[in-house]
Amino acid sequence: MSHRLSVEITKRLPEFTLDVAWSAGDGVAVLFGPSGAGKTLTLQCLAGLIRPDTGRIVVDDRVLFDSATGVDLRPQHRRVGYVFQGYALFPHLTVGQNVAFGLRDRPRAERLARAAEVMERLGLGGLEHRRPGELSGGQRQRVALGRALAIDPALLLLDEPLSALDAPLRRSLRDELRAILRGWGTAAVLVTHDFTEAYQLADRIVIYQGGRVIQSAPRAELLWQPASEAVARIMGLRNVLHGRVVKAMPDRIQISWRGLMLEAVNSPTRSYLPPPDSPIAFFIRPEYVRLIRKDRGAPDAAHHMNLMRGRIVGESDFGTVWSLRLRLDAPGSPSQGDFDLEVEVPRLVYEILEIERDRHWEFSIHRGSIHVLPT
Amino acid sequence: MSADSLGALGLSIRVAVFATLLNALLGIPLAYLLARRAFRGRALVDLLVTLPLVLPPTVTGYYLIVLLGRRGWLGAPVYAWTGWSVAFTWYAAVIAATVMALPLLVRTARAAIEPVDRELEKAAFTLGRSEWRTALEVTLPLARNGIVAGMVLAFARALGEFGATLMLAGNIPGKTTTVPLAIYTAVQTGEMGEAVLLVVALTILSCVVLMVAGRLGARAT
Repeated sequence: MSHRLSVEITKRLPEFTLDVAWSAGDGVAVLFGPSGAGKTLTLQCLAGLIRPDTGRIVVDDRVLFDSATGVDLRPQHRRVGYVFQGYALFPHLTVGQNVAFGLRDRPRAERLARAAEVMERLGLGGLEHRRPGELSGGQRQRVALGRALAIDPALLLLDEPLSALDAPLRRSLRDELRAILRGWGTAAVLVTHDFTEAYQLADRIVIYQGGRVIQSAPRAELLWQPASEAVARIMGLRNVLHGRVVKAMPDRIQISWRGLMLEAVNSPTRSYLPPPDSPIAFFIRPEYVRLIRKDRGAPDAAHHMNLMRGRIVGESDFGTVWSLRLRLDAPGSPSQGDFDLEVEVPRLVYEILEIERDRHWEFSIHRGSIHVLPT
Repeated sequence: MSADSLGALGLSIRVAVFATLLNALLGIPLAYLLARRAFRGRALVDLLVTLPLVLPPTVTGYYLIVLLGRRGWLGAPVYAWTGWSVAFTWYAAVIAATVMALPLLVRTARAAIEPVDRELEKAAFTLGRSEWRTALEVTLPLARNGIVAGMVLAFARALGEFGATLMLAGNIPGKTTTVPLAIYTAVQTGEMGEAVLLVVALTILSCVVLMVAGRLGARAT
């Protein structure tokens, strides 16, 4: 993969230090992490609105900033489109004037043609004489995108582009935004603190925490192989658990946890070989825990791998799924407060098996569904 | 109304118009700088601009004489070079009115510029606008209501200026006697009829200015 964008910056503020380095290829790089992790600050450094203390920013072989050689292009000369949180549309100008705002240097005819083309492609035709105050949230987002894309930017920056919208609209606009970003093919950096949004919009996800990057990976890799427990927690993964290594082999890893011996698949790309008895973190996706039906036997012995028995001590109804909090029968204190494992079952299963009435169950977890987190 | 009174009315309007234009020229950039830039001596500039608001006008007028009078810091060299002094001319009335009105425009315009969303300015930067063009195309248009209100206040203040004008421009009938000075003179010499005419004229003029300003403000929103 060729690197269209490479970022390496430090910026010291009174209460915060940003020190990040990452790169991205074509498509959308999402900066994901909690509020205050330095994501927006990074965007502002990319746009030239804030000057980093040291570092280097290169877009398509064009150096925008390099503290070593003293290069620091002004925001006016970077050709970086910026979609601000809340959009920052000019309220005193019409939609047409907003979209054409960055085209001042071009001849009038060309300016109008370009603005019209952009508005047409974004479905803003007929709105050119409206003011931003008269538009819906989705239309505002498209105007902000259009204004940034009209200048044919080398890089498009989007700061929490969906946070100004309410939930139902947010979902449909996420799909729309994804289609627009794919359709225009402009390299983009998008900031969000919502993992679903990050995953849906990203080609690459860069995880920020406390002014540093704790993982940068293509999105599929990130989903199945978080680099550390910190990444797993920021992603909001549930059932992040701690055990001890019994035996680690390149393809398998045995873990002792809550008096049980669990068997997990070791990571295929970076087999992790910690010595026996060292502490180890792992996670189990709640939707991958199997509930064993009492009315049927297992088809074969291997079917019920990592078998355990427990009682449901709490549950939440999420509409389409039920989340069950399970406490193992094994003696000892539960691993997550008052329960050991969160398990998700579809509503239909919940009803057919009469889980509301029947609280004691056997569970099993396939070894491929226990994911080891390197330290 | 006597010819002198009509002359005073004409002079007052001329002084107020020029003072308001000068105010816009000086005051809007000053308000922008005070609202948006952190520069050395900003607190001092702020203080100097505001001072005429709280000092007695005669004190401001005295400082203007010290600065611009025939023997003033600036006035003396100018007089030595050209043999001319601004003191006791109608220009002096304009200067006095400008200085007295400036704090009203600067403070009102600044209060209107400060809340303009900075993200809008940053957006303009990324779209290729210099800070200068951004101020002209984004910041100032969005602060328009406050700037217009400030100019109206400045005009009204310039129209009614008395103390500082008397100090720097004097009270020379037909030359530097503006309406407030003419009213004072008329009352002093017992010409109550003239005084009433001028009082009514100034009141009507002020009402018209306020109404026009109200219309402008309403259209801007």
